[in-house]
Amino acid sequence: MSREPAAGPDVDRLDLLASAIGGRPLEVGAGRPGEPTWTDGTIVFVDPDAGRAEQVVSVAVQASLLVGGGLGPAIVRQLGGRPGLARRYLGLEGHRALAASEPLLPPAVRRLIDRDVAAGLADPEASLVRARARRALRPPPESFGTIRPRRLLAADRRDEGTTTGDVGPLRPPSPTGDLPDLDEQPDDEDRGRDVGGLLASPVGGRGLLGRLLEHLLRASRDARGGAGPAGADAPTHRGSARSRGRGTLTSSPPGAEARGPTAAFGPRLRTYPEWDVRRRGYRADWCTVRERAPEPGDLAPLAMPDGHVLRRPLARLGSGLDRVHRRPQGDDIDLDAAVEARVATLAGAPTDGAVYVENLRRRRVLAVLILLDVSGSAGEPGPAGRSVHEHQRSAAAALTAALHDLGDRVALYAFNSQGRTAVHVTRVKGFDDRLDGRVAQRLGGLVPAAYTRLGAAIRHGAHVLDETGGTSRRLLLVLSDGFAYDHGYEGRYGEADARRALTEARRRGLGCLCVSVGAGTAPLALSRVFGPAAHATVPTTGQLAVVVGPLFQVALRSAEAQRRTFQRSERTREQLELDRRTA
Amino acid sequence: MTSATRPYYVPVGVEEQVFAAAFRQGMAVVLKGPTGCGKTRFVEAMAHDLDRPLVTVSCHDDLTAADLVGRFLLHDGETRWVDGPLTRAVREGAICYLDEVVEARQDTTVVIHPLADHRRQLPIDRLGVVVDAAPGFCLVVSYNPGYQSVLKDLKDSTRQRMVAIELTFPPADVEEKIVSHEAGVDHEQAAQLVQLGQAIRRLETAGLREVASTRVLIAAGRLIAEGLPARAAARAAVAGPLSDDPLVTAGLVEMIAVYLEDEGC
Repeated sequence: MSREPAAGPDVDRLDLLASAIGGRPLEVGAGRPGEPTWTDGTIVFVDPDAGRAEQVVSVAVQASLLVGGGLGPAIVRQLGGRPGLARRYLGLEGHRALAASEPLLPPAVRRLIDRDVAAGLADPEASLVRARARRALRPPPESFGTIRPRRLLAADRRDEGTTTGDVGPLRPPSPTGDLPDLDEQPDDEDRGRDVGGLLASPVGGRGLLGRLLEHLLRASRDARGGAGPAGADAPTHRGSARSRGRGTLTSSPPGAEARGPTAAFGPRLRTYPEWDVRRRGYRADWCTVRERAPEPGDLAPLAMPDGHVLRRPLARLGSGLDRVHRRPQGDDIDLDAAVEARVATLAGAPTDGAVYVENLRRRRVLAVLILLDVSGSAGEPGPAGRSVHEHQRSAAAALTAALHDLGDRVALYAFNSQGRTAVHVTRVKGFDDRLDGRVAQRLGGLVPAAYTRLGAAIRHGAHVLDETGGTSRRLLLVLSDGFAYDHGYEGRYGEADARRALTEARRRGLGCLCVSVGAGTAPLALSRVFGPAAHATVPTTGQLAVVVGPLFQVALRSAEAQRRTFQRSERTREQLELDRRTA
Repeated sequence: MTSATRPYYVPVGVEEQVFAAAFRQGMAVVLKGPTGCGKTRFVEAMAHDLDRPLVTVSCHDDLTAADLVGRFLLHDGETRWVDGPLTRAVREGAICYLDEVVEARQDTTVVIHPLADHRRQLPIDRLGVVVDAAPGFCLVVSYNPGYQSVLKDLKDSTRQRMVAIELTFPPADVEEKIVSHEAGVDHEQAAQLVQLGQAIRRLETAGLREVASTRVLIAAGRLIAEGLPARAAARAAVAGPLSDDPLVTAGLVEMIAVYLEDEGC
């Protein structure tokens, strides 16, 4: 049988197609050459050597199976270790799922549907019942790929936030990694089950052993310091995977700017240096920031607070409409200009016709990026009873709403970390995203976990602000308990790096302010971390309105001065360079 | 003046009846719906049906009350009052359509308040007069609820003065008919374009600025009607306008290749 020419490695171009048919963000990754297509529920792995047409069909089938519920855990559990049944089931359910998604399918895929098979099947359960019956069935076309029940179940466990030992949150659902052939082998309930499976099993999962292990492995941090060397990445605890990148993360070595296995929905990777206070120097490309958008599973309802109270102090920062005289057009006649123009005309002099008063909005051009700390320490209750996370989340929501209402450009990102290679930054609202219910749901779905590598998060926030802020006046607002702690990022080291990151941002002309809400952190401790940046601590969100106006003013004024200094020094540097070359 | 032929509009619900009833009752209308779903075309069709002239104002950030109501201009050394489009519509009994009204500043939109309620009057401060709306005057504003604007939203006091008609993208069969008619392509080609559009609409979270509207599908169809291959037409009229991100654009181009079949392929 002749094969079409290979489509090449750019299988990620099929991401959008998979997502459109699947009705959820799906990625397409390259699997092992020659192997049938399969999915873990998040990524569809296709044969990179197959022709494009075959890849399109495979992706459409797997995405249809997902959207039609044919790969739900209840079904897939029954297929585990029974490759024969899984194949028969795929031969039936594949056609049923395609028929159900038919209006969305490309013409080439629609032609594959066996309507006789699909007609008698109402739902995935019906397909399974018929697959079990000992009746001869036509095998599924090769382009349908295969079903890997264990991979689907493992991904499902990750989605539920189960702590895993062997398959950690930073491990990609590699097509070539471990558990390669288990789905194709006869059933053996316990063989090859990973630690995640143990924890999720009826015995270990929610039982005593499971809970004990989970408790032991849960992210926590100890202010008394860690055991690792400064800056080193030697995790001693595992965190809840829920608020991080889940199965889509990769642990590949980072480049200056790299992409995940697939483009449209994968995490964006970027490396940043870190300040080593002991060596008085930077560690180049030391931290990897993984920026991602929350997935549908990360959403939870949250009522957005009214930013009304904060609007007044923040509004004073801007300026309103100006009546500008001597304009060529405007709402009213500028009498002085009109009289002068008339005199000039009578005197035979030319006039420019600028005889109107125009109301011009001299709107402040301000972009604000809010960085919300969602590390494990924020989950702990503050002095007032509510958790620091609840306070900070509500403050972030109120500030976002108020700034948005005032017409400022505003973005909201959440961050936590698990070692220097895994600083997770979640985009709750980008500068160009709408402020709608989805933003509230993303915010509501944030669960505090893991640690705080504050410096890398600040550097990334400053980078995003530079790249997408789009205005000359830019502010970075950090909402954190001010507790910089991560693997190899303790005490003086972490504080110095966070301070350094803020200084770097300020030198570039960004206004920086840091607010701690409901954490009860001592002012001195905050000063050590936030250094010369404007900072304050308030016990509740309600009191934010008191400090936020002055804080913004200080930060903006300081940024203005820094920007002028920066521009002056740049000009001097350029002049010196020019002089040197001329000489 | 209304045009001789009715602008092509296919109703998808009772929007025409609601509009006609509101018109007869002298009530203002707010049209809500995404970009390119047919709001403007609907107003044009209704103006034709009701035999009223249509005055359209595209609202923007710097639109002032004087831009709507009117202003004094200097001409040959004398001041002369010039009516704005809203005043003209009020005097003539026309349908005044304020497109994307949230783009206008709130201090501008307040001038429509006395027109939108039972008073149906337009106070003109600079002239010191109050103009009663002529019979047949109808205020229509359009508004895209998901659109991020500087002013973000309509004030409640403005919203509550109006009858809301919600428009969305039409169902596939209706949209096929619209694309086929407007672009001049055959039904099969229109069906492929609509299917592509509907698939893209399921990608609302994929970093697209807007989803593929009926308008962009018609634009692609018109290029096809000019003899361009379907995929090239869709790349120019759909993928290009929807995203500047090269990765997203590459994904859209791939979808176009999958959903649209060029002749001879």
